Amino acid sequence: MNVAGTQRETREQATLLSAFVVSATLWLLITTAVAVLLSFKFPFPDLATSPYLSFGRLRAIHTNGTFYAFASVALSGLAIYIAARSSGAPIYAKPVAWVSLGLFNVAAILGTITLDLGMSDGSQEYREWLPWVRVILLLAALCSAYVVAGTIARRVERPIYIANWYTLGGFTFTAILWIVALIPTYQIGVGQVSVQAFYMHNAVGMWFTFLALGVTYYALPKLLNRPIYSYSLGVLAFWTNLVFYPIIGSHHYEFSPLPWWLQTLAIVFSVGMLIPVFAGSANLILTARGAWDVVRRSYALPFLAAGIVYYFLGSTQGTFEALRTAQAYWHFTSFTVGHSHATMYGFITLIVFGGVYALLPLATGKQPSPLLTGVHFWFALVGVTLYVIVLSVGGTIQGINWASGNPFISSVEAAAPFWLARALGGSMMFVSHLLFAYNVYVMIGAKQPTLEPQAQPA
Amino acid sequence: MNRPMDRLWVLMTASFVIYALLAIVMGVIPGIVLSATRPTPGISPLSGPAARGRDVYVAEGCSYCHTQQVRPLAQDLVFGRPSTRGDYAYSTPQLLGTERTGPDLTNIGRRQPSAVWNYIHLYEPRSVVSASIMPAYPWLFTLKAHADQGDVTVPVPPGYAPANAVVVARRDAIDLVDYLQSLKQAQLGSAK
Repeated sequence: MNVAGTQRETREQATLLSAFVVSATLWLLITTAVAVLLSFKFPFPDLATSPYLSFGRLRAIHTNGTFYAFASVALSGLAIYIAARSSGAPIYAKPVAWVSLGLFNVAAILGTITLDLGMSDGSQEYREWLPWVRVILLLAALCSAYVVAGTIARRVERPIYIANWYTLGGFTFTAILWIVALIPTYQIGVGQVSVQAFYMHNAVGMWFTFLALGVTYYALPKLLNRPIYSYSLGVLAFWTNLVFYPIIGSHHYEFSPLPWWLQTLAIVFSVGMLIPVFAGSANLILTARGAWDVVRRSYALPFLAAGIVYYFLGSTQGTFEALRTAQAYWHFTSFTVGHSHATMYGFITLIVFGGVYALLPLATGKQPSPLLTGVHFWFALVGVTLYVIVLSVGGTIQGINWASGNPFISSVEAAAPFWLARALGGSMMFVSHLLFAYNVYVMIGAKQPTLEPQAQPA
Repeated sequence: MNRPMDRLWVLMTASFVIYALLAIVMGVIPGIVLSATRPTPGISPLSGPAARGRDVYVAEGCSYCHTQQVRPLAQDLVFGRPSTRGDYAYSTPQLLGTERTGPDLTNIGRRQPSAVWNYIHLYEPRSVVSASIMPAYPWLFTLKAHADQGDVTVPVPPGYAPANAVVVARRDAIDLVDYLQSLKQAQLGSAK
C-alpha cells in the first residue's frame, strides 16, 4: 500500500472505530439512566408510575440494552480494529462493518420500543427482544464476524494472534447460541427452562467474556510494551473455557424441577471453570508484573487491571455461588444481581472502557484529559464495588431471613437499606458514564490533539 | 513454527464443531426431552381470559420479581409443595423466574383466593401491604364518575382512593387476576 493509501486506511479505521464507540456510548447513557431510575424505584416504589417507565418493562430494556446495544457494539468495534492492527492488514469489507453497526442500532431501537410497549418474548432473560428483532441482532453480529474473519485472513504473519482467537471464538459461539435460542420447537414448559438456563449463561460467558479477553490480550501487552506472559496459558484457557462453560448453565436453576443430574453436572463444571479463570487471569496479571508505575501513569491500564481483577474475583465467586449450600441461601436474592454486575460491569464494562482509552487515541491521535479519565475510573470502580458489596450483604440477609421462616415482607424490610445504598453506587457509575462520554467526545470531536479538553480549539 | 491452529479455517471449524456439539447436547437435547414431559394429573391448559392474563403478566415483567417454582427446601414450603416438571407442561412461556424480590406465586390462587384483594393490591400495593415495594399498576384500571352495569369496581381503601371517582378494572386487570387465581398446584397422588 502506498503512503496515501495507508493514510486513507488509517483515517477510515479511525472513523469506523469512532462510530462504534459513539454508538455504544449513547446506548450506555440511555440504558444506565434507565438503571438509575430502576434502582430508585426500590426505596421509592411510587416514583414515575407509568406503564412506559415501570420496573417490569424497563428492567429488560436495561439488561438487553447494556448487553446488545452497548457492550456488544463497543466490543465488536474494538474487535474489528484489533483484527486489523494485529494482522497488519486493512479492515476487510468496511461497508459490511457499517451495515453491522446500522443493524445493531436498528435492533436496539426496535427492541427497546417494543419492550416499552409491553411486547416481550416471554420474559426470558437476556432474550426478551421479539424473535424478529433478534434476527436483526444476529445479522449485525454476523456482519461484524465477516469483517473480523476477512481481516484476519489477510494477516501478514502466519500465526493467529491470541487476541483474535478469542474474538473469532466469541463470534462463532454466539452465532450458534442465538440460533439455538430462536427455535421454539424444543422450548415447551420445562424444556424451555433448560434452554433458558443454557442461553442466559452462555450469552454472557461465550460472548462478552471472549470478546473482552480478546481486547485485553491485545491492549495490555501493547500498552505495557511487553509480550503476553504465556501464549500457552492463553490457549489452555481458551479451550477449557470452550468445553466447560456450556455445561454449567443449569446452575441458574438449582433446586428447580430440572433433572437433578443436570444441576449436579453444572456444579461440577462450575468448579472446573476455575482452570480457565485462573489460567487466564494469572496470565494477564503476570504479563503486568512489576509494571505498577506504568499502570499508574496510564489512562487505560487502570481500567484493564481492575477489569482483570474483577474477572478473577467475579468468576471465582460464581464458582462458589454455584455450590448447593450457597444456592440454598443466595438463589433468588439480590446477591445474584450483585454477582452479575461484578462480572458484566466490573469485568466486561471496565475492559470496554480500558479498550476504548487504549485504542481510540491511537486511532484518532487525540488524548482525553488525564484528570477526567482518572475521575471516571474512580467513580466507576468505587460505584460498582459499592454496588456489589451492598447487594452481597443485603442478598445474604434476604436469604437468611427466608431460612428463618419470617413473614416474606420482613425480607423486603431487611434488604431496604442495602437497596438504597445500591442506588447510590449505581448513581456513581452513571456519573462516571457522563465523564466517559465527554472523554469520548474529546478523543473524537476535539478540533486538535490536546491534553487540556477545556482549552478552546483555534 | 507451523501449528495447525495457525490456519484460520482450522481454528474456526474446530471452535464451531465443538460448540455446536455442546449446544446440541446441553441445550437442544435437554429441550427436546423435557418439552415432552407429561402433565401432572389434574392440571389443564389455561382458559381464554387466564391465558390472556398470562400475556399481561409477561408484558408487565412480573416474573422479574416473582418466582413460580417451589424448591424442595424448608423455607419454600410456605409457598406450596415442591414443584415438579409436569406442573409446567402447559406453562409456555416458562415463568419460573430467577429473583424473588416479592413472594413466590406458584400456588397464589389458593394462598390468596380473593379477587377483590388482588384488584386493590394491583391498583396500589401499599394500600394493603404498607411495606410493599411492588409497583402500582393504575393503568390496568380506569377512573369513572360512576360505575356502569357490569363494571368490576374496586373498593380502594380511603387515603388511596381517588376523590369523586370509582376505580373500575379494565380488561387487562380482570384477565391478570383470572390468571393469578388459576395458579393452583395440583395435589400429587399418594404413592399407595
